[in-house]
Amino acid sequence: MDKNQEITKREDKNIEKTRELYEAIPAVDIYENEDEILLHADMPGVVKDDISVNIDNGTLSLSGVRKLASKGLANWEEFSDLEYIRSFSVPQTIDVEKVDAELKDGVLRLHLPKSEAAKPRQIEIKTA
Amino acid sequence: MFMRINDLDRLFGTMSLLQKKLDNLNSDYGQSYGYKWEVEGNSPRTNLYKNGDNFEIYAEVPGIGKDDLNIKIQGNYLEITGTRNSDAPEGYKTHKIERGIGAFSRSFTLPADVDSSKVEATLKDGILYLTLPKSEAAKPKKITVS
Repeated sequence: MDKNQEITKREDKNIEKTRELYEAIPAVDIYENEDEILLHADMPGVVKDDISVNIDNGTLSLSGVRKLASKGLANWEEFSDLEYIRSFSVPQTIDVEKVDAELKDGVLRLHLPKSEAAKPRQIEIKTA
Repeated sequence: MFMRINDLDRLFGTMSLLQKKLDNLNSDYGQSYGYKWEVEGNSPRTNLYKNGDNFEIYAEVPGIGKDDLNIKIQGNYLEITGTRNSDAPEGYKTHKIERGIGAFSRSFTLPADVDSSKVEATLKDGILYLTLPKSEAAKPKKITVS
C-alpha cells in the first residue's frame, strides 16, 4: 500500500505544468472576393491587447488569451480562461503590409488584401 | 479464487493511476478539446458564481449586439434569449463557415430569488455579464441573541 501511494505521489510531483491554459480552436468563417480575403473568428472574452496575429512565411497564426475575472464561488463553470490558437496557410499573394484586424463583440475580423499583382485583370483585346 | 488483500490493493492502485492519466488527457493533448461557439445546441455556455449578496452569470455571446439579446427575470427564473445574425459580407465567395447563426435561448432556475429591479447586465468583448442581487427575503440574516 505504501509503495503504491509513493508512486502516485511522485506522479503528482513530476508533472510539469508548462501550460496552464486550455488550448482551443476558434470557429472561423472565411470569405474571399477579388480584392481581399476576410476571416472572422469567434473569440469571446478576449481583449484587444491579448490577441496576436502573425503572418510569417505563408502561415497566418492567431492567438488570443482569455482572462476572466472570476468572482466568488462557482456554482457551475462551462467556460474558463483559455487560449484560442489556430493557424492557416495564406497564399503568397497577400499584401502583408496592409493586413488589417478589428475586434468587436468578441469577434476578430481580419482583412487580408491581395497584392496588386495578384488581382484579376481584364485583358483588352486589340484588333489588328 | 483466493486473493490476498495486498494484490487487491495493488489492483486498485493501478486503476487509480489509470484514472489520473485519463483525467489529465485533456491538458496533455489540449487540441482534442474542441471548443466552438455553437448555436445548434441552442444555448450559450454560461458560468454562475455566488458572490455574497449577488449571483454573477457570465455567458459567451460572441458577435451579438445588445439589441439582439433579451433577458427575462421572474423570481428565481432567468431566461436569456437572442439571435445571432450572419455577418457574411455581400459579394464574397464563401470558403468556410463554422460559426453558427440563428436564435438561441437558455433558461435557469437560480438557487434563490433575485431582485429583478436591481439586475445589471453588461456586454463586453462578446461576454454577457449579469449581476443579480438576491432579493431581501433570500439574503442571509443575522439574528442577535437577546
